[in-house]
Amino acid sequence: MNLLRLLLHVLVFRPLLYLIFGIHVTGQNNLHSLKNFILFSNHNSHLDIFLLYYTLPPSMINRSHAVAALDYFRKPAWLYRAVQFLFQPIWVDRTTYAGSMIKEIEARLKQGHSIIIFPEGTRGQDGSLQEFQAGIGLVAKRNPGIPCIPAFLEGPERSFPKKAPFPLPLCNHVTIGPPQRLDGDIKTVTFRLHDHLKTLADEELAYRQRRPLSPGKPATVSVIGIDGSGKSTLSRALIRHSSGESCFVGDSLERYHDGIPYPAQPLVMNEIRQWMGHRAKHAENLSGYKIPKMAELLLRDRLLNEVIRWYRPERIVMDGSPLLNMTAWAVLYREQFFNASMCMKTLSVLTGNRKLKKRDPMLKQFPELKILNRLHLNQLHMPDMIVFLDVEPQLCLERIQSRGEKLQAHENPEQLAKLRDAYTLVCEVLAKTHHVLHLKGDRPVKTLVQETNQIMENLQCKPLT
Amino acid sequence: MLDPVPEFLIPCLFAGLSLFRLSVWLSRGRWQMPEALQLIWIFSLIISVAEYLSFHWALWMLALYAFFALREFFSLVDIRIEDRFGILFAYLSIPFMFYLIHILWYGLFIISIPVYTYLLVPFFVAAGRKTEGIVFSTGVIDFGLFFYVLCMGHIAYLIYFSERMAALMIAAAVISGVVLKVLIRRPFVIRYGILVVLIGCLYVLSSSWSGIPWYHCIALGGLVPLLTCVGHFTLNKIEDDLGIRADRLQPGRGRMIHSMRLILFTAPVMFHYLRWFLHWGDIQ
Repeated sequence: MNLLRLLLHVLVFRPLLYLIFGIHVTGQNNLHSLKNFILFSNHNSHLDIFLLYYTLPPSMINRSHAVAALDYFRKPAWLYRAVQFLFQPIWVDRTTYAGSMIKEIEARLKQGHSIIIFPEGTRGQDGSLQEFQAGIGLVAKRNPGIPCIPAFLEGPERSFPKKAPFPLPLCNHVTIGPPQRLDGDIKTVTFRLHDHLKTLADEELAYRQRRPLSPGKPATVSVIGIDGSGKSTLSRALIRHSSGESCFVGDSLERYHDGIPYPAQPLVMNEIRQWMGHRAKHAENLSGYKIPKMAELLLRDRLLNEVIRWYRPERIVMDGSPLLNMTAWAVLYREQFFNASMCMKTLSVLTGNRKLKKRDPMLKQFPELKILNRLHLNQLHMPDMIVFLDVEPQLCLERIQSRGEKLQAHENPEQLAKLRDAYTLVCEVLAKTHHVLHLKGDRPVKTLVQETNQIMENLQCKPLT
Repeated sequence: MLDPVPEFLIPCLFAGLSLFRLSVWLSRGRWQMPEALQLIWIFSLIISVAEYLSFHWALWMLALYAFFALREFFSLVDIRIEDRFGILFAYLSIPFMFYLIHILWYGLFIISIPVYTYLLVPFFVAAGRKTEGIVFSTGVIDFGLFFYVLCMGHIAYLIYFSERMAALMIAAAVISGVVLKVLIRRPFVIRYGILVVLIGCLYVLSSSWSGIPWYHCIALGGLVPLLTCVGHFTLNKIEDDLGIRADRLQPGRGRMIHSMRLILFTAPVMFHYLRWFLHWGDIQ
């Protein structure tokens, strides 16, 4: 059997691996002239063990044992037998105490055999080196005379990564480091072995070409509040105080560079949205206001995608937020069902993080949600930061009247008070998970800007996911 | 094929270089085989096989060479897990393309990659269902296919018509490589001028050996250095982006791609020059 195993490895696997995976080994001389050793490496693929056996001198093939998880290879039976025959592994039962496995490793080492071990415990996802389990440190500490040899495998995480349906022919590199004999407690030994492998990894991964980073997702700040609370004024003031490329999305779409406005390329989506907003403003009553306003909010949310795509701003400041407006506005139409749990549920449904069951009572209470779900309009943007301008409704009405504007259907003390409470509730719900700033809006804009900027400075662009 | 009399020079060159390669291997790292000699060694082997054994054997050796080059290229670029179907398709196109050369179906060979493969690669990449980076991935796969399969296929056609022309092209590439390396600090005009003189002389002096009229030799003497210079410049920039460094070439990390940079631009243009101006071949 030993001869058959040796022939299979040397005459079948090695030529095939070379032909398909172009294996290149550096530092193979580190394995020569050693009677036995503990070979440890990073683990990202099922190919790893084949690559490590590829590096072994032929005389070591029958005297080397990989440490493998029994639960993974137990079924089907043919796989278990194949692994058992090819690699003579020391099986680890991850559900029980590892003491018996350590004893078996020690017994093999005393016989003059070598051990191949993946100290990360399981395959990594992206090729980066994970933390080591303490087992390698324990084995190295209890066998101080046996050298530990680091081997860094570069390539298998791309040739045959976790979740890949099939392996791809790509070049693979094995870098074998110098033998290590370490002293110290288990934690220190484990840490130092990790450090040795990390050094090899940093050298090897420096060769990698990286594709250009995708444009970052801009930080989005939404200023919310009832009509006349000064949202637009504060939003524009915030943008004028910001540096770099930024956009204001409100009744109009404006582009700024270092706080100075400059013409923006017109977007069709914005023109449609403005027309829809105009229709909503001239509605006679609340029921006539609902559909155009909802359409305007949905278009405004879509407009965000267009703004990110075409303008690539670093920051977007929005007068209102389609998601939060839609949620808070429910109070005007279904006040009896409006509460904190409904807010939380609606927010997660409208951002696509939750799916409602067909018979969920919420769909009866808010039939609009059912329609939005059916039309796949449930991927609304959640702002990175929410600024709630809290102003008395009476003051807001006075501000609107002083501008000489005609009052809209919902602009009366009673409805505005309801909306104010609704926004407060939405902010309370979001405060646990998001940056929410509750500001009293009856103060000078300069003060409000200063308070907001302190938090805004910490918001960074995130990579698109 | 256009070369009726077997040529002894190329197999002798292969034998000499094989001995040198053996001594490099025996030196255990003390000696290194220059990269120019590596290219000559591989192509002298392929051309010798085509001349003395069978063109088809040489063709499939070239297909293997194309596979190695494409594999090295894909190993160096940043691919996504979702690109696997596209890359697999690119690999599978190698036997298909070389089979078309095997049966001398030139008409389909020349349009397979620019039409059918370029239509199917985006489909297979899109089948990965990850939108972000799809354009980059498609571009990368198409680029690899064009250079390392289609251009390599042209070398096979060149060998089919005349091993001597293929040998001359390799010789011109090696001369260009050496001149461009030695005179790296000189202005382009001087380097190009020296190359025109050297390669022009090579083509004119070998006119009776290669069977090309002398005036075409002069034209090729100007065209081939230009193409090698363009190839050298372009692929050097691409190698920079791929992280290939000429001072630390390793197998699987750009050594093969680097050695091929001087012939990838030359082979297709030279083949089409001979096909259109000298009316070589009766392929469909």
